[in-house]
Formats: sequence, structure tokens, C-alpha cells
Amino acid sequence: METVAPFNEIVDEIKAAGGEIFKMCFQCGLCDSVCPWNRVRPFSMRKLIREAAFGLTDVEGEELWLCTTCGNCALQCPRQVKQIDISVSLRRIATEYQVFPTSVKPVRTMSGSLVGEGNPLNEARGKRGDWAKEYGVKPFSEDMEILYFVGCYLSYDARLKKVAAATAEVLKKAGVNFGILGEKENCCGESIRKAGDESVFKRLATDNIKTFIDNGVKKILVSSPHCYHTLKNEYPEFMVHFEIVHVAQYLAELIAAGRLKVDGELAKKVTYHDPCYLGRHNDIFDEPREVLGKVGKLELVEMADSRKKSLCCGGGGGRIWMETANSERFSNLRLEQAREVGAEILVTACPYCITNFEESRLNLELGEVLEIKDISEIINDAVK
Amino acid sequence: MKEDKCDICRGVCQADAIDFRQTPKKRDINVGAVILAVGIEPFDPKTKDEYGYGRMENVVTSMDYERLLSSTGPFAGEVLRLSDKKHPKKIAWIQCVGSRRLTEGENSYCSGVCCTYTQKQVILTKGHDADVDCTIFHNDIRAFGKDFERYFQRAEELPGTRFIRSYVAIDRELPESKNVVIKYATNDAGVKEEEFDLVVLSVGLNPPENFRELADKFGIDLNHHGFSRAIHSNPIATNQPGIFVSGAFQGPTDIPESVFTASGAGAQCGELLDYRRGKLANERVYPEERDVSFEEPRIGVFVCHCGANISSVVNVPATVEYALTLPNVVYAQEQLFSCATNSAQQITDLAKEKGLNRIVIAACSPRTLEPLFRDTLREAGLNQYYCDMANIREHCSWVHTKQKEDATRKAKDIVRMSVARTRYLEPLQEFDLPVNPRALVVGGGIAGMTTALSIAEQGHEVELIEKNNDLGGMARRLHTTIEGMEVQPFLKETIRKVYANPLIHVSHNAKITDVSGFLGNFSATVATEGRVKKIEYGAAVLAIGADEYQPSEYLYGENDKVFTHLEIGEEIAAGNEAVTRADSLVMIQCVGCRNEERNYCSRVCCSHAVKNALKLKANKPEMEIYILFRDMRTYGLREDYYRDAAEMGVKFIRFEMDDQPQVEAVKAGGKDILRVSVPDLILGKRLELDADIVSLAAAVVPAAATAEIAGMFKVALSPDEFFKEAHVKLKPVEFAADGVYLCGTAHYPKHIQETINQAYGAAGRVLTLLSQDTVTASGSICEVHEDDCVSCGACITACSYDAIEFKQTDKGRKAWVNPVLCKGDGLCNAKCPTNAIVLKHFTDAELLSQIDAA
Amino acid sequence: MENEVLPVDKIQQLCQGGSGVSDFGDVLVVGGGVSGIQASLDLATAGFKVYLVETGPSIGGNMAKLDKTFPTNDCSM
Repeated sequence: METVAPFNEIVDEIKAAGGEIFKMCFQCGLCDSVCPWNRVRPFSMRKLIREAAFGLTDVEGEELWLCTTCGNCALQCPRQVKQIDISVSLRRIATEYQVFPTSVKPVRTMSGSLVGEGNPLNEARGKRGDWAKEYGVKPFSEDMEILYFVGCYLSYDARLKKVAAATAEVLKKAGVNFGILGEKENCCGESIRKAGDESVFKRLATDNIKTFIDNGVKKILVSSPHCYHTLKNEYPEFMVHFEIVHVAQYLAELIAAGRLKVDGELAKKVTYHDPCYLGRHNDIFDEPREVLGKVGKLELVEMADSRKKSLCCGGGGGRIWMETANSERFSNLRLEQAREVGAEILVTACPYCITNFEESRLNLELGEVLEIKDISEIINDAVK
Repeated sequence: MKEDKCDICRGVCQADAIDFRQTPKKRDINVGAVILAVGIEPFDPKTKDEYGYGRMENVVTSMDYERLLSSTGPFAGEVLRLSDKKHPKKIAWIQCVGSRRLTEGENSYCSGVCCTYTQKQVILTKGHDADVDCTIFHNDIRAFGKDFERYFQRAEELPGTRFIRSYVAIDRELPESKNVVIKYATNDAGVKEEEFDLVVLSVGLNPPENFRELADKFGIDLNHHGFSRAIHSNPIATNQPGIFVSGAFQGPTDIPESVFTASGAGAQCGELLDYRRGKLANERVYPEERDVSFEEPRIGVFVCHCGANISSVVNVPATVEYALTLPNVVYAQEQLFSCATNSAQQITDLAKEKGLNRIVIAACSPRTLEPLFRDTLREAGLNQYYCDMANIREHCSWVHTKQKEDATRKAKDIVRMSVARTRYLEPLQEFDLPVNPRALVVGGGIAGMTTALSIAEQGHEVELIEKNNDLGGMARRLHTTIEGMEVQPFLKETIRKVYANPLIHVSHNAKITDVSGFLGNFSATVATEGRVKKIEYGAAVLAIGADEYQPSEYLYGENDKVFTHLEIGEEIAAGNEAVTRADSLVMIQCVGCRNEERNYCSRVCCSHAVKNALKLKANKPEMEIYILFRDMRTYGLREDYYRDAAEMGVKFIRFEMDDQPQVEAVKAGGKDILRVSVPDLILGKRLELDADIVSLAAAVVPAAATAEIAGMFKVALSPDEFFKEAHVKLKPVEFAADGVYLCGTAHYPKHIQETINQAYGAAGRVLTLLSQDTVTASGSICEVHEDDCVSCGACITACSYDAIEFKQTDKGRKAWVNPVLCKGDGLCNAKCPTNAIVLKHFTDAELLSQIDAA
Repeated sequence: MENEVLPVDKIQQLCQGGSGVSDFGDVLVVGGGVSGIQASLDLATAGFKVYLVETGPSIGGNMAKLDKTFPTNDCSM
């Protein structure tokens, strides 16, 4: 057995980077037991934390990049060790030293694009609002009811632009007076923060906040749970408070207020996947199910791991930008769970989940039997 | 249906116990004191979806499982799965359910009882079916109580038993088998997934459901967990004078502690209300005893079902019918529970009605219930020794569950033998002995002083014997408790109260040289300060404390930077800057115990380490403190302090027996340090820690005088050589020898608050004796037929109680039995060459007739 | 405390009333589990009149629900 001495300088760095909570761990192993990684490959959060506690972290290694920040362990941890904070603190140190293992390299490109173009996808800032043209979506103005903060993937990604369109259409059907910021909108910064680049996050957040203030924004609608989480829970660190609503909540609100009548039918077996950042992180479990329940003939079934136990798609914590071997993708397992309960449509409410699921759908050749949809697409189709 | 009641239960109840006419009645009662013994509520895992309870059929709580194990349980003692009524072959226990968790709805404290009750369940499960695979998923094993460590080893060593150190995910129920899949972590082999037939959740203890209402009603303060807010110097007391708390409402406790805190609460009521003792209570009056010695035996036989314990195996009606055919049996019947109040009444009534003069109870062992049935005979106006118990439960139904016909035949044999013996039973007289109301307390530490004060407060003189020059004992070296009590002021005040109490007489520098006498009438010779005192007393409490182990490990005694925890506590109190300003300090736990030589846990050291660490950190937050432990045993509410220490940055490293820490004195950076190396099982690496100071959790060992004092007072020692109580659960503060009690660390290592609790408990038990004018001695004792005695003295040598001596009689020197000292064990009978000495109630005629009937 | 305890004289007076005064006792024990039972037994043996109150229909508490007990595996009843 190798003999080592604790490395207190590293311990201090981790503390400074926000990971001091490692001290609470009493090594019960529950985090490992519930971690989705251990369904596809061994990964020990417990060991990662233990190494941090003694300053023995392998800063160049891959382990510290694995956590998808799904929050399953943090929710159940008996000592309330905030595992996500520890992972993020380690990534901050790696980012500071500019050491990235191969699978994490793409993150550097993303950072560049985020700083330059306000999105991680290497797309031109000027094209951010292009998708909206054909739907007649207006730029946001102060007199409007709500700002639709579209997000990067829904603005640029071919598949997800359809989700943005469906959202815009359904809002119009409900008579909502809304607008978008177009090229003035920046990435919310949630994922780059989890990937350890605090400075890029701060830049994006302050830019967005400035834009919100300049445009007199009060209430903000988002399609991504990641945008939701950071706008709602992290932007207040900058001493601002906006009213944030996720599309799943907003649809429920509109239906309850009688502004939206779900009069169509969908005679399909549907299952709903709780995105980590909507469910576990923000306790929104009932509204999406309520909304789906309004669609005539739609049969809603639950997968093995649902609600609080939901199985992460693998895209959180910046993992959406990192390389994951096909055999190690949680999204593959999730699609199998959907198939096990006989679902014909897998509905969710997160662009990362949809991206990962669509990819798995191709890989697993489920194109014929399983559709992947955003909740706004389902409702838009069901409203005449 | 009459008045919306189906009435079926009333019809089927053989005991006529159901009465629909009862209505709630409100009564105002005036009392002088109140004891809140409201207990605990088992944690309800339904509140946490993760546990699957109520969602998966084969996930049960440990309380459910107790019922499954019980012969009066849902499947009559068979462990069956709810889903398919099949015997589970693979069972998992999940520890710390509801305990040691900050997650919402669970408790941050350790419930203190689950580790050991789980081990009990494993042992019982293996007793039911040795082939069951038992797996226990746990964090620390908290075997901190007396004999717990050995019990844990007993469970661990059973074949097919695994203890796995991991909290788990109860992942899913398999749709067809209804088996439960569990995931758990390993140190080096990743996460494993395993299927179990049955999962038992080892649920913890919650405060009683209505604790807030209760607290409001009685005006008592609670702590943030919902238990009574303990007063450090007296956890039985509350902020309301006259209202006391016993049992688990003090915080999670096990049964012995619930029992002695009850006795302790009784003692404190006694202190308050001594002046009215005996004023309101009624004396029990028995009918006059009828002389039946000239009558032909008329025997009544009562055969007990014991619920289903007996009747599920033995054919009870057939046994009754058989009994009726036996000579002298004039009456026989069956009873559901013979020990129930109404059954005893029935026996009394029938004895009178049928003119019975001897009774046979065919039921269980006489050990627990013989006194009850003897009492029943007294109620019927019969001499209580005309009763015999035929044990058809332990000796028959419990051991022959699979052979029903043979068991019934055996039950008949046992009844026949008992009837045969009963024919020869003789009436015996018990006699009253006066009780000397003074108490002797040996040991002037916190335990001895507390018990002495409580006894004196209840109006009894106390002789307090202290071997040293000063009172205080081990507490003189302790400065704070983990809960924050300042020990020295408390100790000073207690000592002052002892000296101020006119009923307490203290002997200093005292040594007991001789003890003689018997229950209620003892005498001790004490050498104290140059003179010899003879003390007459009715009851004694042995509170002689314990010692600190002197380590030979880890450079102790060789290097002046190595201390024990007790010494570190003293150095902190004295402000020794070498300790308080040290840069780094390593504590090593379990030094001198939990090993082959001392196979027990010293109970206090984990909390002791945490207490010292918290003190040091408060003083110098940047000090590096490492605690090297085997299991952190901060049981009960002390768990909160363990967490506080982690919060303050104290690092905890677990090691195992086969690879213990190494300490080496080296020079580093120009200064002398101690280099401690210890493997970390999670890292899979050996850590090397440089320490300015090393502190050892030296074991608590029995006081040097323990064996000698045990010999003088004729009391027993446990395997670990602490005093052995009469019964772990039911008589935790008394010895098997009548009139001798114990408390404090002489019984087993314990914290100050526990010692205080137990000391009051001993006082309470002492008062149940000393408040009587007389005590009754058994009639079943030995007697010498002087004509046959050849004065050989064999019986005198055989007797363990010095109860036999020679006496000059008209017929010369003969053996004589002191009826007060005789315990009726009959050893002398076997030694007597001429059968001159007999044990009454077990005479040759009685026993031979029983054997002949076999 | 003084106002909670009746004066000695009054108690004696009440006691002389004999069984007629049924609502006076020395100690009220709340809870009929193992601890409450033990406290009641000790107090009664030591010469006090005890009222034991229990919310359920029978005494015994949680211990009565256990099958057998550590370490002798004695029946808990």
C-alpha cells in the first residue's frame, strides 16, 4: 500500500474553490450506491470526496469531470455533503491550471464560443433570433406580459428549434403577449459554471442581468430547466430577483386560468421523464404530469425511476459537451426503461435530455417505436 | 347488529374480557409527584419513499420483524414473506433508518439500540432456520454496552452472516419474485447489486408523537429533538419541580436504562414525598390459611395454552382429560393464559368451590411466574407451597414444535410426574426478618455520593466508605462533559451536600476488611484512619468505580508527547500550551480494549475524543486534529457532537484491527514530532500524519479492588470482570445476592449522566427494601434431622453461603442451618453421608415420587 | 414546589378519610411501558399510592411487542 501525506495546500485550494463541505462526509457510501454512473461503469464519489479531504485529488484525471450534477446523492446524503459543490470546486481548480483530459477538451472550445458569441455551439450571435421569424415572434418590449428566454439549444439546434416554435405557437394560441431578446440574449451560463469556469459564468450572467434590466423585464419564461435553475437560484447572488417560470409550469398556469383549452386528443402511451434540474433540483414534478393529463386519450405511464428517483440523461454538469462512450450513456438506459413500460412517446421538458435521448434513439434504432417530445410540442399539437 | 356493534368478539372471548358498556370517564386525581415515562415511537419509514416501505411487499420494519419472529405473531412464529407466504432464504437488514441522517423527516441522532437489536434478530433468525443468509448493511457498529461486543461477535461469526459497511439504495422490486434489489458500495470493488427475499429496515426511535402537547401540559422544556431537556446534573429531573422523566423520554435508551431511570425517578419521588410514605397505600390482606395437612390430597390441574405457545403443539384438552385420570386429581381444566388476572381469580375460586388443597399449573418455567401462582394459593386460603408448576412450554412445546403427538405424550408425562410430587408437598412457613434501615455505600465518587444523598434524603442513615482521602473519585480528573456541564463545580457542590447531610457518615482512607450477615441485617468491618469501625446495615450499594488503563502501546510512557484522553482533558483545563497551541494532534481510539485481552468497548472514549477535539478546536481552530477510530460510537444524542467535530474540520480515519496505526518519534523541520501512519480504507493508501501530540483512548478497566470486594460481598463478576448485575434487563442495579446493589462504572464504563441516572436507580431499589420494617425469607430451606447427624462437617464445607454451623445440643455437637442465610440450593444434601440434612420443598419423598411416576 | 405539595396535616386528614377519598395519590406515572411499570412497582413497594395512566388498552409498551430480548434471548413478556 502506497504511503502518502495529506497535501494541505491543495486542501486549502479546494476550500477556497467552494468545496469545504467535504469535511462532513462520514464515508457511508450512499452516494456511490445511488449514483447513475455505477449502472454503466465504476465511479466513486465517496473516494473523490475522500481524496479532496486530504488534498490527494488527481487534478489531471477524468474522475472529477464525471459528475452530471444530477443531485441524486445530495438529496439523500445523511450528512448533507453537497457533492455537486465539491465536484465543481475541483473543476475550478483544473480549469485554473488549464488541465483537461481528452474527453473534456471540447469544453475549452465551448468557453471560447460562449465568450465570443454568447452560445456554446459556435453559432453566430446575430442568428440567435432567426428561428422566430417565420412565427412572427416579436422582440420583447416593456409592456409585454412575459419575456421568453429561449436558450442556446432552442435557438440554434435543428431539432430543438421545433420546440421553440411549438412554444411560441402555443403561447400565441393562449393569447399571451410575449417577446424575445434575440441577439441580446446570452447563454444563461449554468453549465459552464458546473464545468468549473466561474469567470465565464459571471460574464454571461451579468450581461443577461444588464439586458433584463435595460429592457424592463419582470417575468421570464424558460424552456430549459438549466436556465430555470440558474436564473431562479443563482442570479440572486447578483442581488437581482426576476420571476422565473418554466414552460411546464406556465402551461399548467394557462390551462388553469382558462386561457388555454386542450381540446385535442392523442391516443398514445406516453411516459414523462423528469429532468434533474426541474424535478430533483427544483421540486417541479406535478405540473408537467397535470398538463399531460389534460390531453384526451393520452395514457400516462411511469418509468421505473421516476420523480425524485429520476434517472439522469447524462447531460448535466457540462457533460452535454464532453465525450461519453456509447456504452456509458445513461440515456440509453432511460430509453430502455421507457420501452419496458410500453411507452410510444417519451416526453420531457429539457433540451439536454431531448438531445441525449434523440441520439440514443438513433443508436438503439428505436426510430420506429419511440418518439422523443418536449411537453410544449405535445400541448401545441393538442390545442386547436 | 346491536347498536352498530357486531358483538362477535364478545362471544368468542373465553376470558369474558370484552365489555361494551364501558364508557370513557374523566377523573381528577391529586398527586404529589409525576413521572413521565412516555417512551418512544418507532420511526415510520413510510414518510421516506426511498425505503420502499408500504410500496414493496417484502420490505418490513424491525418492529414488524419482531412480530414475524414471535410465536404469538401473524404466522405463529414462522418467518414468512408477506408476498407469497414463503420462507425467505436471503434477508437484508438496513441500519440507521430514520437515524443519523440530516435528511428531512429523519433524526440526526443515533437511536443507540438498532445495532444490537439487529444482531439479536440475526441470531434468532438463524435459530429459526440456520440456512438463511443474513446480511447487515451498516455504518459504524455501535456495540457500546455491556456484553454488546461479545454479542456482536456471536452474530458475526454465525455462518452465512455478512456485515457490510455501506448505506444502500433500495433500488427496486422485481415484478415476478417480489424480491428486492439493493445496491451498496464497496471500498475497492465498486457498487454491487444484490437481490434479497426480504428486507428489514432497522428503524430508530422517535420521541412520542404527542411530545409537544405533553410538554405544554406539564410545562416541561424539551430539547430540539423533542425529548426532555436534560438537566446535566440530574437527567431524571425537569425544569418543573415534582415532575420527573424516566426511560426513553430522556433520549433514546435501551431497556436496562429505562428500568433503572424508573427506579431513579421513584427515588426522587421518595425524596420529595418521604413524609407521606405508607399513608395512602393499602396493605394487602390475605384470607386466613386453612390447615389441610390432615386431608387427603385433592389436586386441581390447570393446563395453560399460553396463547398458542403450548396449544399449537401440545393437545391441551387431551392433557386435561388425562390429568383427570390421575390419582388424587379431583379437578382439571384448560386456560388460555393461566397467568392472566382473571385466570388466577378462577383458580382461587375453583380451589374454594371444589375444595382443592393442592394445585398443579401445567404451563411455563417457574422462574418467572411461580411467585404469582403461589400468591394465587394464598388468596385461596392455602399454604403457598402446595403449588407445583409442570413446565410443558420450555421443556416441551418449544423444543418439540415438529412432533406434536410425541409432545402431547411428553406433556402428559410431565403432568403425571408433577401430580405425583404434589401429593407429597408439605406446607412451609416463611418468616419475617427485621430490616436495619441503614445503608452502606462503598465508593465516594459521583455514583456513590449521588446514591448516598438520595437514600439520606429519604430519611435513612448512610455509611459512605471512600478508599481515598477525598471524595470525588474519577470525576476529580474530568472537567467538562460533552454536553457542556462543568464537572468541578458540580462535584464540589455534591461533596458539600454529602458533608452537610447529617444522615451521611463518611469514612475516608477506608478499607473494608470483613462483611457478614444477611438481607436486611449485614455487618461490615471497616478500617479507617487508624481505627476499626463495625457498621451494621440493611442494604449495601457497591459504587467502587473503575480505573484508567495504563497503555504500553504507541510510545506511551516513553515519549512525553503521548497522553491519554483523560490526561489531555486535564492539560486543556490546566492551559498547557504544548497541548492547546499544538499545530497538529492525533487521537488513537480503542487502546487496551476491543482486543483479545479486554473484549469489550469502553463506551465513553469516542465521545471523550470528540469532546476534547471540540475544546481544542474552539481554542485554536486551525489545529489539525485527526481521530483514528475503529467505529465511532457516539451513540444517542452524542451523534450531534460527532457531526459538530466534522463541521469544525476534525478529520476521522477508520482503521481495522489487522492493520493498526503506527507511531514513531522522528525529527522533521528541526523539531521533534510523532509520525503516525494509518491506512485509509477508502483511499486505499497509507496516510502519514505528523503530530505534535498523540492522545490515546485508554480503556476503562475494572477498579483494582473489584474482585476482592466481590468476594467479600459474595457478588459475581461479568466475563470482563466488572460487577455482574442480577438480570441485565429486569434487575440492572442489583446483585443476585439479596440486599446488595450496584451503580456507576463499577458495573460498566459509562458517562457521568448515565452514572447519575443509575445511582438514583440504585437508591430507588434500596428504598424498596429499607422502607420495609421486615423482609420475608423463603420457606424452601435446609433443615437438619439432628438424630441422623454424625457431625462430620461435610455440609458446612459444601455451603457457599456460610449458612451452616455446628451447635451444641442435648445430643451433642450437631450441624445447624441458619434459615436466613440458607439459599435452598441443596448442595449440602448431596454431601451428607447420612441424609440428615434435607431441603424442604425438595424432599426425597417429593422428588422420588416424581421420578417414580416418570 | 410548596404549593404543589399539600401540607402534611391535610394529607393525614385525607388519609384518615380512608377509601372514601379515592382521588388522592402520591405519584402519577404517565406511560405504561417498561419504565412506567418499573417506576410504579418500585413506588408501590416503597409505600406510595401510584396512579399509572396509559393511553392504550393494555400496558407493556414497545417492549411487549418484542419477541425476545438481548442478550439472553429471554421472552420479553
